[in-house]
Amino acid sequence: MIDFQNVSKSYGTALAILTQTSFTVTTGEFVFIAGPSGAGKSTLLKLIAGLEAPNSGQITVNGQRLSDLSARARPYLRRTVGVILQNTHLLYDRSAIENVLLPLAVVGQAPETARSRARAALEKVGLSHKEHANPVELSGGEQQRLAIARAIVNRPAILIADEPTANLDRDTARRVMNVFKDFNQVGVTTLVATHDEDLMAEYAQRVLVIEPGRFRDFPVQRKT
Amino acid sequence: MKQWLRQHRYALNVTLRRLFLQPFSWVANTLVIALALTLPLIGASILTSVQPLVREVSITPEMTIFMKPNATPEVATQIAQRIKEANNASVSSIKIIRKDTALSELSQNPAWSQALKVLEGNPLPDAVVVSLVSSDQVVTQAQQLAQTWQSWSGVDFVQLDSAWVQRLEALLRFGRIGLALMTLVVGLVVLAAIFNTVRMQALSQREEIAVARLVGATESFVRRPFLYQGGLTCGLAACLAIGLCLWALNPLNQALLGLAKTYGAEFSLRLPSADILVWCFIAAITLGAISARWSVTRHTRF
Repeated sequence: MIDFQNVSKSYGTALAILTQTSFTVTTGEFVFIAGPSGAGKSTLLKLIAGLEAPNSGQITVNGQRLSDLSARARPYLRRTVGVILQNTHLLYDRSAIENVLLPLAVVGQAPETARSRARAALEKVGLSHKEHANPVELSGGEQQRLAIARAIVNRPAILIADEPTANLDRDTARRVMNVFKDFNQVGVTTLVATHDEDLMAEYAQRVLVIEPGRFRDFPVQRKT
Repeated sequence: MKQWLRQHRYALNVTLRRLFLQPFSWVANTLVIALALTLPLIGASILTSVQPLVREVSITPEMTIFMKPNATPEVATQIAQRIKEANNASVSSIKIIRKDTALSELSQNPAWSQALKVLEGNPLPDAVVVSLVSSDQVVTQAQQLAQTWQSWSGVDFVQLDSAWVQRLEALLRFGRIGLALMTLVVGLVVLAAIFNTVRMQALSQREEIAVARLVGATESFVRRPFLYQGGLTCGLAACLAIGLCLWALNPLNQALLGLAKTYGAEFSLRLPSADILVWCFIAAITLGAISARWSVTRHTRF
């Protein structure tokens, strides 16, 4: 569960991203965060992941108020939130599987278990045949899926992705979105920031729209 | 516990991989630190080797009490008796040298025999030679005793034979302070070298650190490989320094042996004891880890 109560975030005095914003995302929801470039979609995701702090207001993630968390406790919360940033932040001096193994090393997972979980994560995103490949050898879509594998390997309760389909062709974007959909269907709360209206129309259950000076919440009624 | 050990194993693997990716820079850095550590180690070796020698020569510090020229032989006997009674604990032996015995011994020396022949009588006084029990405060104690005995009736002059020992001890004290200062300077050099190496490494690992934080790494997890790097580099440098020191002591000892033989003595330089070397090794590792921690904490705030 993610809860924003009167959250404001601005950079300096000139650029206000969020003003007194409140919303709640319940467990298992699939939410799109939409808005034009520079509106603050990435900032919103970073606030949820605890990578940035709000100027005011309360953010609660998985029942924990971020403002109450000490610097020591913050990494433990981050382990429950899988983050895929716009720049995939892959490590290019390591193979694909070594990239996926990093979050497992962070939690001190046993090497054998870690390797089998990393392989399972790669398989889920359709990259099991590329486990020894260096990220530079992968296409844009494969790199994006590798970043997803790294984000999900620790079985997070929340998955947040910032423009995961930017720079991908339609088929690859759909494939990446299907991976998110699969995770969402097993109960992982998923938030995806995008400005791709076609994808939103196809996958959205709910859309949070951030526009300069405005924040809107759209539940999407889908025909089944 | 297992989880903690696994995280340490991972940190060690990461450290070794980073070091082996830049072997020349690492080896050069380790050599610089090793050479810097060799200097105080050689200094410590010299002090360790000289100290027992000083202790040995100061085992029998002697004082000679010369009687007044007109004093009767009984005066020397009384003085010797008085010293024995008053300072039994600090005196190891007392010997009376009669003026006739002194003259006859001096006459046997060809350098003096001719000069003594022209003298009408015996100009030498009776003397009492006192050997003191060796202790840490022997020099101070000898000075106090000399002052007391000088004031006794019948005593003309008290000669303190340990003055040169005092000078040697002062020289050693100077050496010890010099060594401490050198160790401090070398410590700062090591600190700066590790600080800078870790700074460079941390800056080149920015992406990896950012990703690790993103996936929930604690600051300890981020810092650990750098701490290992500092500790490993300094530990290896300390081992190299001990090896270099051993290697350097060999030709130095051969040269010293020749010098010592001319004095009919045997003397050689040796490394400080094994437990001191182990402490130096641990201190080097600790210093490396501390400077790495300081550096990584400063340079990974992003």
